[in-house]
Amino acid sequence: MRPEQRRSKASKAGIAGRVVALALIVFFAVGPILWMVMSSVRPADQLFQSDPSVVPTAVTGAWYEEVFGSGALRWFANSFVVAIVTTLVSLTLGTAAGYAVTRFTFPGRRVLLACLGVSYLFPAILLLVPLYLVLASLGLAGSLAGIIIAHLTITLPLTTWLMKSFVEAVPRELEEAAWVDGQGYLGAFLRVTLPLLRTGLATTAMFAFILSWDEFLLASVIAQGDNVTAPVGMAGLVTSFDIRWGAIMALSTLVTIPVVVLFFVLQRYYEKGLTAGSVKG
Amino acid sequence: MASTPAVFSRGLTGRQQRAGIAFALPAALLFATILAYPIFESFRTSLFSIDLLTGNAEFAGLSNFSEIFSDETLWSTIGHTLIWTVLSLAGQLGLGLAAALLIDADWPGMRWIRQLLLIPYVVPVIASALVWQWMLDGHYGVISTSLQSWGALDPGANPLGQESTSLATVVLVNIWRGFPFAMLVFWARMQSIDPAQYEAARVDGAGPWREFVHVTLPNLRSAALSLLALRGIWTLMYFELVWLLTRGGPAGSSEVLSTYIYKVVMGEFRVGYAAAIASFAGLFLGLVGLVGWILYRFRVRRAA
Repeated sequence: MRPEQRRSKASKAGIAGRVVALALIVFFAVGPILWMVMSSVRPADQLFQSDPSVVPTAVTGAWYEEVFGSGALRWFANSFVVAIVTTLVSLTLGTAAGYAVTRFTFPGRRVLLACLGVSYLFPAILLLVPLYLVLASLGLAGSLAGIIIAHLTITLPLTTWLMKSFVEAVPRELEEAAWVDGQGYLGAFLRVTLPLLRTGLATTAMFAFILSWDEFLLASVIAQGDNVTAPVGMAGLVTSFDIRWGAIMALSTLVTIPVVVLFFVLQRYYEKGLTAGSVKG
Repeated sequence: MASTPAVFSRGLTGRQQRAGIAFALPAALLFATILAYPIFESFRTSLFSIDLLTGNAEFAGLSNFSEIFSDETLWSTIGHTLIWTVLSLAGQLGLGLAAALLIDADWPGMRWIRQLLLIPYVVPVIASALVWQWMLDGHYGVISTSLQSWGALDPGANPLGQESTSLATVVLVNIWRGFPFAMLVFWARMQSIDPAQYEAARVDGAGPWREFVHVTLPNLRSAALSLLALRGIWTLMYFELVWLLTRGGPAGSSEVLSTYIYKVVMGEFRVGYAAAIASFAGLFLGLVGLVGWILYRFRVRRAA
């Protein structure tokens, strides 16, 4: 009896300790993001006082109005176009390639797999100069198409890699039956395999979209003039003399929303994809 | 006929091989043009002295590489890069492990807490960098003004703007951003530990601490190693966070390899030298990767 009692007493203190530690860690993780959202609705006089109060006593939509009235909308439109085209292209090519390396043996398969592994690990900064030179010689520097191609260097290895693991989970027998039925390889793939890959496609598409949406380095070098993506445009605001933190926090909140919405809608797949090792950085 | 490669044969193998190539070809071509060719170009460029403004290119042999060894800024930058990588990884894995242990309980609502803890990793890096800059602002930022009123910081000072604290602050933000990933990997691994191992330890009279040391930790070894390898490479060359927070400054106090390369290209337009540094770093990473892989294979073979 006595050891039991002692254990329950100790575990009560233990549980209290765990709750406190958990609360601290959640505060550390979420605090900055809450502060970002709160700052985006704070009136200027509350934002710029040397002793800021923690809870805003008034709420304003002025920063969002300012943002919507500026050229920032164009940045977001660019980011959407770039991210969606990047996702579609890398999903199509990546799924086909992932399918090829899982289902077929062909000359060059091992080379392709090795290249996949290397490019998956290859840091974007090392690609910066040569990629820029290639795009410039193609006349694509400064255009959205150039940014899309640059983003494909990041998303294509990822989508191929992820789709390969999803194809591996589909039983081969189903396709073989379709091959015997005389559907042809493409027909069998489209009619039998593809429908079974829905979850995999959704997961992979989400990661490709997020990677492209977040990407700053390559876009910052390629983007010019009006053709900047949201992260590049936003980074340029802080160097100016009069830093408009309210507007910047409104933009930061806006750039975060699509990603966080995707994350909460597809959270089950997100965790699975993440532990499969899918995000650089 | 016997000498015809299988790809061209009319049999089933040939058909399957051709199908495989057809499926893989578009991606393979794109790989070749936007990844393999640029990487090759990068090595070639490193042998030239190229001015991006004038477009002049002169063959420079290995002079770009010999400049690496006399570039003192580069060597202090490499020092910062190592500090940045080691501290970031230690912090991310340490805090990630602590968080994984804390969320490893079937309390109500724990699923939601896990989602909340993942937020720093989900938020776009541009938004993270901007909100930390705002919180650390020397005049109006909530963290800096609090530290100032406690006397931990000079009036008006910004931890990102002081040479003595800039690198540490950037590392702290990187730990904030990266620990959820380590947490998730550790936690996922913990779910697959056989409960019988814990029961056996308990039968042997092990308390929570000994359970942790003798059951949990050994099971997390492989997860920790793969985290170190993957995140090690990415953290070494991680650009966005440092650049967006400090631009490598002030006075180069938080300069890491990636921001330095970026400056050599975008600020000084010395493409050849940047390519030389990049090639050097790439070779170094490849070498480390190769050694790691050989050691890994060696151990696997010994264990088998």
